[in-house]
Amino acid sequence: MIEPNVQKRRPMTRRVLCCLLPLALALAACGDDTPTEDAGTPDDAAARDSGPRSDAGSIDSGVRVDAGATDTGGSDAAADDAGPSDTGVPPDPFSRFSCAEVSGACLEFLPSEVGDLLDAVNGLSAPTTLVLANGRFALDNALTIRGASGVTLTGQGIDETILDFSSQTAQANGVDVVGDNFTISHLTITDSKKDGLRIETSTNVIVRFLKVTWSGGPLSTNGAYGIYPVRCTNVLLEDSEAYDASDAGIYVGQSINAVVRRNIARRNVAGIEIENTQFADVYENLAEDNTGGLLVFDLPGNPIVGRDIKIHDNIVRENNRPNFAASGTTVSAIPAGTGTFALASRRVEITDNTYENNNTMDIAMISGLAVSSSTGAWAIPLDQVVGSTAGLGLLTNETAVFNFRTEEIWIHGNTHSGSGTSPDGLDPVAREIGALISFLYTFPTDERPVDTYLYDGIGETVVPGTTAAGNTNNNHICVGSNTGATFAVLDLPKLADMLQGTPSVFPTTADIFRPGPPFTPFDCSGFTNGPIADLVLPF
Amino acid sequence: MARFIIMALWLALLGSLACESEDSRPDAAVAADVSPGDGATDPMDARPSDADAGVTDAAPADASPMDANAPLGPVVVDISNPQPPPLLSDFRFFRLRNGVPDYNQGVVPYDLNTPLFSDFALKWRAIYLPPGSQIQFHPTDSFEFPVGSAIVKSFAIAPDLRTPEVDVRILETRVLIRYADGWRAFPYLWREDRSDADFFARGAVLPLTFIDPRGQTRTAQYLVPQRNQCFACHDQLNAEGGAFLTPLGPKARYLHRSFPYEGGAANQLTHLAGLGWLEGLPDLGDVNPAFDFSEVATTGTTGLDQLGLERAARDYLDINCAHCHNPNSVQGVTSQLFLSFDTTDRFRLGVCKEPGSAGTGSGGLRFDIVPGNAAQSILHFRMASETVGEIMPLVGRSLRDDPAVELIRAWIDGMAPEACD
Repeated sequence: MIEPNVQKRRPMTRRVLCCLLPLALALAACGDDTPTEDAGTPDDAAARDSGPRSDAGSIDSGVRVDAGATDTGGSDAAADDAGPSDTGVPPDPFSRFSCAEVSGACLEFLPSEVGDLLDAVNGLSAPTTLVLANGRFALDNALTIRGASGVTLTGQGIDETILDFSSQTAQANGVDVVGDNFTISHLTITDSKKDGLRIETSTNVIVRFLKVTWSGGPLSTNGAYGIYPVRCTNVLLEDSEAYDASDAGIYVGQSINAVVRRNIARRNVAGIEIENTQFADVYENLAEDNTGGLLVFDLPGNPIVGRDIKIHDNIVRENNRPNFAASGTTVSAIPAGTGTFALASRRVEITDNTYENNNTMDIAMISGLAVSSSTGAWAIPLDQVVGSTAGLGLLTNETAVFNFRTEEIWIHGNTHSGSGTSPDGLDPVAREIGALISFLYTFPTDERPVDTYLYDGIGETVVPGTTAAGNTNNNHICVGSNTGATFAVLDLPKLADMLQGTPSVFPTTADIFRPGPPFTPFDCSGFTNGPIADLVLPF
Repeated sequence: MARFIIMALWLALLGSLACESEDSRPDAAVAADVSPGDGATDPMDARPSDADAGVTDAAPADASPMDANAPLGPVVVDISNPQPPPLLSDFRFFRLRNGVPDYNQGVVPYDLNTPLFSDFALKWRAIYLPPGSQIQFHPTDSFEFPVGSAIVKSFAIAPDLRTPEVDVRILETRVLIRYADGWRAFPYLWREDRSDADFFARGAVLPLTFIDPRGQTRTAQYLVPQRNQCFACHDQLNAEGGAFLTPLGPKARYLHRSFPYEGGAANQLTHLAGLGWLEGLPDLGDVNPAFDFSEVATTGTTGLDQLGLERAARDYLDINCAHCHNPNSVQGVTSQLFLSFDTTDRFRLGVCKEPGSAGTGSGGLRFDIVPGNAAQSILHFRMASETVGEIMPLVGRSLRDDPAVELIRAWIDGMAPEACD
């Protein structure tokens, strides 16, 4: 039975012994201040990592059903038997971080104590730090956190502490959280049936030094999202990694105020997605070897209208992985070789990024109507709108606003090379935009790289007149000074009609507007209603 | 079907003296050993045994306080303590008689018109009210329960669900207690000898093999939810956006049905009002009952016209899906697919609606509901699937509910065809 108000559970005893007994021996093995070699993750964050704290912890975990069965007694013995080295010092299971560094309620768990861990997380009612030891924690159900504010879940480092969900028998998430002031750090989540980490409807969320992956590599049967804060307010997602997700590796969805920085996304269908999110600062991330690199979009009719997304100083390169999403999913429509698209988005600033070798194109600006042509699908009833739509000038009627337009996009200061050389035209059914681009740029004779920036022109009064005077810029698409970039305005519906007509006509680049710098009338800068404000999180 | 089961069980209860010896039978087909108290076995590690090996009951029926014939003392619900008691028997809600709950004074059983499907598990539901207190009627929402009340729901399985009263085995009991600041959920897992159930927060997955009501042998990965997973269904948002735990079943439309009480069959709402337990019950004629799903479960959908199919399907979706798929849910609202029985917006109901993030759950299909074409509808696909990653609902179902899938298929196929795009 876990007593109320216990702050240090039994594993602590072993830890204290570990650090007290062999003072003269191999201190480095358990010295918390000694730099360790754990997975190369920076340790300097450890101290500030443990998140919200309190000394008022009480554990509402109730009764141990299996007293003795999986308790520390047996596993301690096993660990002791397995561990002793010549010096008599077992490896420190809490080599990076332990409860000794936490002033509030704190619990430590060994991989053999999964049942205890589950009992604990199912009884949290106060701020508590949960420290996981080195090793692999095998779970056959989600690790859930509900209701308690101020929970921190931290391990010993990426690939040092592993939450392994490969034995799940239901479509559960890996770590599944609803709780304010939540922090997760320094561990790896692998092989969850659904999302690796899902944090929903929570305020003040920190994710750092977290890795999410699937051990079979990029498979359509993998879970959907790697790291997925959704419907959250104030999200800091940094220094983390996501691999092999069958949808998005890092997916900030339907959230307000999100900083996404210094993360790595590889081998996902979508590397990093910012969806229906207001006020996001996305910088210094690496999106590489995904189908699509870094995407900004709104879903039809979602009550949070995305806005004010700043994407800067990222590297988006070689996102050419063949699309492996399950057919029929939204992301299955992403052509391989996509760097970035802004879809049904507004007030998006893309600046100082490096784009390289994305074979279809670097940046596309696409109306929501290009993927879901019914305007009704994009209606958000006025009484359901969440967050701020002030100053957006959204299309509206008496009962709803509509979020299909892509407008107020500002692209400047980016560097581009090597992209657009081999657009993904393989599947005109699943990925018709990719097929259209492929036709346009490679048939019949006019073979050239796809322009760096593609704008679909949907919503313009006049498009795509081949002279500047013949084009409007109703949607305020601003293309400033960039390195190695070209720009084209398509007229997607017209081009598609040409292809699908009888007899079909192959459109060529002669049918579209390809202005040179300064890209008039798209040579504006900034946004109609002022710049995106600096985002400051309250922690 | 549910009503039939309850009646059969009630008859068994009435005749319990005559049936006492049944408890010494071997439980032939319940393959899982779910004991949490069995020596060094980790309760998470439910050990399947051969279905034909037979697991003999460890204890006779009267081996424990829960099975004793002495009168139970009064129910104990201590709302001054946020912690649950370690044993289910500490509440004194009921004890088992021939494997079936025998409720204490002040505890009243009930049933629902359309129940939540939980891998064919049999369910026994009951309400406890503190003496002198009352439930407040509400026309649409869950009733308001007084502080100190409890809802007690037990799950059981039988080797052959065509004869569910034979060798029925209680698995778990979930207790909702109404505290002053809201409901709290306490799951209890029964010991193998059924002497008692222990508070069990960590959850478990139990492989269970049995014969379903249609005679098919099925093996469920039966989920005993971990305590936090209670919230997956029972958490809803209030007008201010705060989450609160709420019961799901005790609503007027689901309780508006007959129940075979000891004194004879009666309408549940009338019965509760007659006990002085339910305040504000209007004329029964003003309460629309939900569809009685037992009709579909036993006779199928052939007798239903499209209106009947619609009503049956919408009520099934309401009780099985809408706790997540509604605008005030904590999880599920992201889908913007709202399956409450009173959703009038056809797009939000899924008609020609593309899912936002169905992942592999889409089955390669584009729309949740394609009118006139169930085979192209994701809603039908996910209900019919037994593949992890495709299954809906996410929690509590590993097996296909065949009558329900047939119902949904008939309903969608019966809609006027529409080409979604």
